[in-house]
Amino acid sequence: MIAELGHFALIAAFVLAIAQALVPLLGASQREAGLIAARLMTVGRWLALLSAGLVLAAFAALVISFIRSDFSLALVAAHSHSAKPLIYKISGSWGNHEGSLLLWCVILALFGAIMARERRPEQPLPAHLLPAHLLQARLLQARAIAVQGMIQAAFLAFSLFTSNPFLRLAAPPLEGRGLNPVLQDPGLALHPPMLYLGYVGLSASFAFAVAGLIGGRIDRAWAAAMRPYVTLAWAALTCGIALGSWWAYYELGWGGWWFWDPVENASLMPWLAATALLHSVRVAEQREQLKSWTVLLAILGFSLSLLGTFIVRSGLLTSVHSFASDPARGLFILLLLGLAIGLPLLLFAWRGPQLAARADFPPLSREGALILNNILLVSASVIVLVGTFYPLALELVSGARITVGPPYFAASFNPVMALLVAAMGIGPLLVWRGGWRPRAGLTLLLAGGLALIGTGFFLLSNLLPGLQIGHKISPAGLAGIALMLWLGGSILADIGLRWRAGSWPKGRARRALSGMWLAHFGMVVFLAGALGEGLFGSEKIARLTPGDTVQLAGRLWQFDQVVQTNGPNWTARTARLSVQADPAGPARQMRPQIRFYPASQQSTTEAAIHSSVSGDDYAVLGEGSEERGYILRLYRKPLVGWIWFGSLLMALGGLLALSGRQKLPEAG
Amino acid sequence: MMRPLFVLPLAGFALLLLLFAAGLYTQLSGSRQPDQLPSMLVGQLPPDRPLPGLNAEPPRRLLDASRGDWLLVNFFASWCAPCRAEAPALASLSEKMTIIGIAYKDKPLDTQKFLNQFGNPYRRIGVDLDGKAGLDWAIYGVPESFLLAPDGRVVLRHAGPVDRALLEDIEARLETGR
Repeated sequence: MIAELGHFALIAAFVLAIAQALVPLLGASQREAGLIAARLMTVGRWLALLSAGLVLAAFAALVISFIRSDFSLALVAAHSHSAKPLIYKISGSWGNHEGSLLLWCVILALFGAIMARERRPEQPLPAHLLPAHLLQARLLQARAIAVQGMIQAAFLAFSLFTSNPFLRLAAPPLEGRGLNPVLQDPGLALHPPMLYLGYVGLSASFAFAVAGLIGGRIDRAWAAAMRPYVTLAWAALTCGIALGSWWAYYELGWGGWWFWDPVENASLMPWLAATALLHSVRVAEQREQLKSWTVLLAILGFSLSLLGTFIVRSGLLTSVHSFASDPARGLFILLLLGLAIGLPLLLFAWRGPQLAARADFPPLSREGALILNNILLVSASVIVLVGTFYPLALELVSGARITVGPPYFAASFNPVMALLVAAMGIGPLLVWRGGWRPRAGLTLLLAGGLALIGTGFFLLSNLLPGLQIGHKISPAGLAGIALMLWLGGSILADIGLRWRAGSWPKGRARRALSGMWLAHFGMVVFLAGALGEGLFGSEKIARLTPGDTVQLAGRLWQFDQVVQTNGPNWTARTARLSVQADPAGPARQMRPQIRFYPASQQSTTEAAIHSSVSGDDYAVLGEGSEERGYILRLYRKPLVGWIWFGSLLMALGGLLALSGRQKLPEAG
Repeated sequence: MMRPLFVLPLAGFALLLLLFAAGLYTQLSGSRQPDQLPSMLVGQLPPDRPLPGLNAEPPRRLLDASRGDWLLVNFFASWCAPCRAEAPALASLSEKMTIIGIAYKDKPLDTQKFLNQFGNPYRRIGVDLDGKAGLDWAIYGVPESFLLAPDGRVVLRHAGPVDRALLEDIEARLETGR
């Protein structure tokens, strides 16, 4: 019964979404009709709210079916199990293709509803009675709601016609077939919703870009209306990617945090585009420059999100993330991609040239710095795009299946990002319309000094055996350290000098500035983590028999034994290990496991990780036996947690800057 | 009013879409399968650059010692997902013939980890950290394999993971000796 209600709500939401795509557009197109136009736009808003409610109801029905283990639903039978803990029953509802698509629709509808909330008192005034800027705001809103409705209708159709989550089985099984055990993890309960919030959030800026193109009016008010959505989506995407990376780090047990896998790249490309957009929309809002470019970025950001879904869902590329894929669905997505990306780009090719404005600023200005930021970020995005799709192109041309892998990205992506970090130390010291902030020279001097001294220390420790810190650092590693110190020094010197001069901005401007500092400093923290893990990490693979000890990075590991343990729906072999940081200190227990899930006949490795600010101890149990000994992989990963903490700071900084955005003057 | 610069995104996207459509079409119709590639090396004696071993043994030539047998030279790396996929096929093939592995742009410790996890089918392994051997052989990427006849000449080249078709092809050649 519940499933049927959900099914019905989904169909109703689809019908309403089609109406949402048409009605407000109709209203916006007849502005002469006055009252009728205003009414149509109001109806459009209510359609968006109602359709959101219905999609939410459908999703709730699905989650309830999972909680109640209703195995008469094909989806629940295939992906759940009555013995599963409650939280994984719930997260199981989006741990599969059909459910995650429904989640995607929910978030899409929620963004439609956010757009539809009225900011000003609702009065169906005829158009000629509204002040001009209010009328423009309302037209933009109506068109954006319509575009959002189109996207929503397309995805609901995708769900209903190719991936319906509410299909019943004629003969329900007594027990479900479980969920991929790798996905039974708290990190995965959070990772997809967060990532989708980012992916789908970019649909809002996309809708505003297309709405602006339809109306032919891209101005400061347009940029101001779009910016909150960009920031929100970007922050969510940042957190989503970080969560995914963290999940791979502790759950997959490979000991790394980024693998340049197609699915990871699929989330990185929209992130890079969104980061560029986040900066260019500032220029559009502040100076009414880079307008056509901002429109293009907004379209590309969401397009890359769609590409990401396409890659994951169609099984086109070989990936370690092949949890749910099916080429037949790919055809539908391909059609959807063609329409959703092709039409706006066509509109852009037609209307875009009218938006071009003459640049009225010198290269050494805030605008110039943000253009450099955009060029570098988009280049990085293209590099990732090429690296991701080159194997597919090659396979089509020659039939060869290959991967280009980390060597390609290390040689191409890293240098571009290095330039970006170098520029990040300079850009914020430039002011709008050209010129430097006061005391910028001193800030750069301090930052450069810090970079030189710090790098000099590591260079010396490379050369002098007496100063050895145990690791020889490559020139690329030294450059990374120098850049991290340069950026960190520049931010701290800027803060310190402003504080000494007493030149803090007030009110909202202070929050905007602090947000920028926080986000940029998040990058420093992230770099510290990535460099610490990459340059100073140690690892050892050893075959150990009970009682053996191993030295790694000044730590003493002791292996006691392997025992059998049982969980709610798995059995496991658990190694008892202890690690001691210094001989006098306490020994910490570590329990890496190999889990076996009988319901799905799969096993997973559970790494044992002890995290602290200074870094992680990480142990993975491999194959072996009492007599021959067990293979154990032991790691010391300095500062690795900073990678994710830095990402969190970036996201928080974005949100802080958002809260400090300035209201445009009413007579815009 | 259309200007070339503004049409560029549309054109780029159309190309990408074409690529996807072709990829999906061939995938659905079943015509796209890993295949054997033409190579300048076929019929030639392959380059035999001395390569260091996994445990930092001094560089040596890998092919010399096996002249007179059928040989499979397999480029692989721990960072390559398809290489994991071909591990079982290589393991079964290693019972019938000598396989020589070249670890392409991969740190020896990572390679060792990979071999521990997925098994080691290789008689000898050369470490090609800087990718020079890969350049010598002109590989597209990893995994990629070359079949060498007993006279030491390259008989065929196969890009992508070793699959059933290739296994059958190789077994037929081992039997007929051609």
